[in-house]
Amino acid sequence: MNPVQSDLASQCITLLAAGMLVIQLLMVVQGMLLTNIRLFALQSLMLAAIAAIIAFFHNNATHVYWVAGLTLVGKVFFLPWLLNRQVRRMQIEQEIAPLLNSSASMLLCGGFTLLGYIVARPFTSLERLGNNTLGVAITLLLTGFFLMFNRRKAITQVLALLTVENGVMLAAVALTTYGMPLVVELGIFFDVMVAVMVLGLLVYRIRETFASMDVSKLSQLKG
Amino acid sequence: MMLLVPILAVPALAGLCCLLVRSPRVMACANVLAFGVTVALGVELLLQVQAPPYVVIECEEFFRADALSVWMVLLISVVSLGSSLYAGRYFRRDLAAQAVTSGRVKEFFVLTPLFTTGMFLVVLANSLGVMWFALEATALSSVLLVALYNRNTSLEAAWKYVILGSLGLALALFGTVFTYAAGIDQKSTVPHSFNWSHLMAMAGQLDPRMIKLAFVFVLVGYGTKAGLAPMHTWLPDAHSEAPSPTSAMLSGVSLKVALYALLRFHILTTACLGSAFSGTLLLVFGLGSMCLAAPFILVQTNLKRLLAYSSLEHVGLICVGVGLNSPVTIWGALLHMGYHALTKPVLFFAAGNIHQTCHTLQMRLIGPGMAKVLPATAVCMGLAAVAATGLPPFGLFFSEMTILNGGFAAGHSVVSTIVLLALLGAFCGILYQLTRILLGVPKVIRTTDAAPLDGVPAMGLMLGALLVFSVWLPAPLRFVMHRAAGIIGGESVP
Repeated sequence: MNPVQSDLASQCITLLAAGMLVIQLLMVVQGMLLTNIRLFALQSLMLAAIAAIIAFFHNNATHVYWVAGLTLVGKVFFLPWLLNRQVRRMQIEQEIAPLLNSSASMLLCGGFTLLGYIVARPFTSLERLGNNTLGVAITLLLTGFFLMFNRRKAITQVLALLTVENGVMLAAVALTTYGMPLVVELGIFFDVMVAVMVLGLLVYRIRETFASMDVSKLSQLKG
Repeated sequence: MMLLVPILAVPALAGLCCLLVRSPRVMACANVLAFGVTVALGVELLLQVQAPPYVVIECEEFFRADALSVWMVLLISVVSLGSSLYAGRYFRRDLAAQAVTSGRVKEFFVLTPLFTTGMFLVVLANSLGVMWFALEATALSSVLLVALYNRNTSLEAAWKYVILGSLGLALALFGTVFTYAAGIDQKSTVPHSFNWSHLMAMAGQLDPRMIKLAFVFVLVGYGTKAGLAPMHTWLPDAHSEAPSPTSAMLSGVSLKVALYALLRFHILTTACLGSAFSGTLLLVFGLGSMCLAAPFILVQTNLKRLLAYSSLEHVGLICVGVGLNSPVTIWGALLHMGYHALTKPVLFFAAGNIHQTCHTLQMRLIGPGMAKVLPATAVCMGLAAVAATGLPPFGLFFSEMTILNGGFAAGHSVVSTIVLLALLGAFCGILYQLTRILLGVPKVIRTTDAAPLDGVPAMGLMLGALLVFSVWLPAPLRFVMHRAAGIIGGESVP
């Protein structure tokens, strides 16, 4: 790979990683469940594009095509479809008031971004591709956690978990050039799929029992 | 002869076979049979690692078993055997009382062997990445077991368990990725190996900053799954709401399997940076867990939550033992792992019997005099409680004394004193609470028939094993434990 190509690939990856971060922030302030699911699909599409770019520009990284393909099939099409169906079946589309309002959450997430970059600072020299992708990955992790604690609908918590997963995948790509060994990637992929199905099953049962998807009602067990 | 593949395949196949049959009795038998076979395979594995090269490697280094893995395999298979022995009668009673549907019972007998397979894969995988997804698989299979009764509270417990567990595992995956990245040669273009043996061989060349960051992520991540404070909040909920055989598995081995994953990273970090960094962190989290558990045990009102907090304390003690990092305390920690795995299931089985007779776990409502209602259960529970609080002649006394002794001898008198105080608190709490429900004259009139002999084979097996191993450790077992202690302590064993 010549330097010009490498530079181009690196810039594309930086751009896409920044796009993932922007989408994450949009999810934090967005209240509609269906829009949130679409945003997540878009974020996963960007992750798949990053993997595809790496596979394209590196000669000996063909297994990264697998990662791109799996992300595309699983996280861009299948999981959003599954979650969409569940939301429609339950006929709940709007998130009732989150714990923190949107401007305060935005401010907080700005802080998280700063923190993510500070933590990633000593390691920027280790990044093989793109600039500050590790910082973005850690920010995705922190904002994903925040999203989880800020929302009360079970489906949004599942989405938050998935964005954290996207962050891990971004870190894997940024730090290791070729991603992890294929068997590990495959294992992680299937675990995520099964996890979402198990969570969906639980959400369904919670809804049947509590007639609600509001997890703040789950508060009987104490001490 | 292949050994590791059958250990993984037998329970997995048994689980799949249970999909095809209808009768709960047949499913229970299939489970017992499968775990019986894995115990035998585990013993065979124990004998194989006695001679050089002391490791068993299969499938092009995909599976690898050293002394530490063998020790874990033995624990997992014995506890699974005990809890499958108990599960047959337990669910027969639940079905008779219509507490569960037959579909749910099938779910139990299918998922439990898969849960066990996941745990075996955690301890037998060579690659740290495979270890991660095996742990995630154990979390996913056990969460449906926790939600088995479909009560409001069990769904709440399952939700907390799966959300906190997945968050923890996401953090652990971050740590795993960092570890992988730390080992990559800057110039090499060949994707390098993620195998344990490979990483250990090049531990000295790993990027130390990266390894430090990775260990912090892994500690919080796998620590959540192992139930270390302050990430333990799912633990008492899940343990108290799950059916008793599952509680026994969760507490007896699942916590320790997560701890095993953490220990692997501790060993790697020690090889790279020296023991000060990761050892101190383990010590702090272990002490924190012990100090937090003791007051909760003293004021607890729910029987199974009491046992869950006691598990939290024992896990804390194991971490302290490893964190103190002297050969004596590590040996004590390993010993403690084993004895606790044999003791805690008995307590959960007995609690299950009491639950089925009294239909409540609130100790106030269970009331005094259980020894008159369920004599055999009460005797087993009493003995196991005496063992769990660390009284002789049971092994937990020796392991606790070993850790304390090693701690004082290594000059950690403050840490050892705190451990002693926490142990004392738990001791008073458990004995006080359990004597209140076991002894005395029954006051509550029960409508359910007591089945005095339910679960006695399972409890007898575990207690018998505990007593035997308390006074006599067979030479091969002792050898493997010494090697495992050496591996954790960072001795350069071939």
